[in-house]
Amino acid sequence: MKAVDRPFASTSTTVDPQADTLRLFQEHGAALYRFCRSVLRHTGDAEDVVQETFLKLLDHLQHDGDTGNLKSWLFTVAANGCRDRTRWRLRWLPWNAERDHRTVDPVDEEVRLKPDTTSVARKALRRLAPRDRLLLSLRAQGLSYKEIAAASGIREQSVGRLLARALDRWRKQCVA
Amino acid sequence: MRCLSDVEVQAVVDGEASDECRAHANACEACRTRVDERRGQMETIASLIDADGMPSAALESRLRHAMRDVGDVRGATVLRARRPSAWRNVGLVSALATAAVIALFVYGVLPRLGAPMTLSASEVLGRSLQTISSGQGVERLEYEVAMDGMTDGPVVIRQVIDRDNPNRYKVASYRSDGTLATAISQDPMTQQRSQLFHVDGTNYIVRVGAIHTSVLSIPQMAQALVETSIGIMQAKSDQQLTIEDGPAGQRYIVEIPPVMPQNPTATLDLFSARAVISGTDFRIQEFNATGTILRQPFSVSVKLRTHEYIGGAVTAESFAIAPGPDDVVLEGQADEDPITELMTTVLRELGRARGK
Repeated sequence: MKAVDRPFASTSTTVDPQADTLRLFQEHGAALYRFCRSVLRHTGDAEDVVQETFLKLLDHLQHDGDTGNLKSWLFTVAANGCRDRTRWRLRWLPWNAERDHRTVDPVDEEVRLKPDTTSVARKALRRLAPRDRLLLSLRAQGLSYKEIAAASGIREQSVGRLLARALDRWRKQCVA
Repeated sequence: MRCLSDVEVQAVVDGEASDECRAHANACEACRTRVDERRGQMETIASLIDADGMPSAALESRLRHAMRDVGDVRGATVLRARRPSAWRNVGLVSALATAAVIALFVYGVLPRLGAPMTLSASEVLGRSLQTISSGQGVERLEYEVAMDGMTDGPVVIRQVIDRDNPNRYKVASYRSDGTLATAISQDPMTQQRSQLFHVDGTNYIVRVGAIHTSVLSIPQMAQALVETSIGIMQAKSDQQLTIEDGPAGQRYIVEIPPVMPQNPTATLDLFSARAVISGTDFRIQEFNATGTILRQPFSVSVKLRTHEYIGGAVTAESFAIAPGPDDVVLEGQADEDPITELMTTVLRELGRARGK
């Protein structure tokens, strides 16, 4: 068993995959959750993807997988998990008006929340195309262009250009 | 050098630009302004994403259990089904009771255990037993609780406890928007027990008289749990103590590092725990823990807001739920089981409303 990469692991070296997985969850679980939450816009789905990601990490460590850059590995697996989850959502049954019987009035988030700058910015972020949101979310979690490229399946040379465009589109949405 | 393109400005912001681009951004005021503007936008996006907060405390517990049974895990729906169903179904009163039990343990007993440095096995046990028998006066607490099974996010709990009479208490929970969610009160002096539920904008209060004193009260449940919990804490040999200076003085942070459960279905066990303790009165200010309770996984996060003793100001009203002008009050008969008396009263009222 190889020791987990030192730059990524802040505590003592272990050869226990379960302990390593839990330690990595402590270190990066929250960042991974925020990334998934931002991409999927659903708390439960985000937690499921994070859980699946760390279970895959456990399997990866148990089978002597590469531990060279586990941070990039985690975000790559999570990004794939988010994509799968999004595809899975598309296979849901369509909404059927005849079966929709509300028991309480829906809460209008936009009415409830004061439409301040923050809510406008958040709304603009949600309106972005999935790839734009994915790239901005990965960058917001501190990933380098190389790591973003690995996680998103985009050429490293294109990451900066696509990020710049994504940011421009977000800014336009904010003022729209 | 020509001025930077948007892509180059983005690269400067992201720390991926060449030395030449960075030097130009420093030298050219127009480009520097664009860099600052873009950096501000990226920081705004990062703060929006950060504002999505932390995963629920239950996630770690779910992960531990999934790791334990990793060979059986198949597909995403199975993962979500691993949430502890029993906790989801026990109802509002039980969730409230559980929150109160844990908070009583955290704020009622642990503070009296002494400084964290004294958390040796023998002293913890001795002081805890002393605490259980020496509590006095009426205590009022307010704290935030987030725990597995609370689908609407953290709640604020306000409670009044007569430590001289563990059957005398009032506990109320408030949603994050400040609205009252549920409350339960019991007072052997007036022989009344009330339970309040806020449904569709109306408070419904179920009130029963001539209550049976044999009903195990929330404080008594806490007391029973405490002895077991202290025994578990005694067994943890890897407590880590950190001392830090905060704005309100010195604080102690005691942590039991995460461990894989030896017995995931234990009646009561701690997988991880973290307590932030005031250095002045050794009262716990924050407490986070994951483990099992009654063979079900749990995770809880508690944060103390206020605490005081109100000895002189205690009246019967302190342990009663006073109905407001628009509240619906249902009178019922006491039963040994509060859930049974609640259901009986509500169903009887429903039958009357339907003319039966």
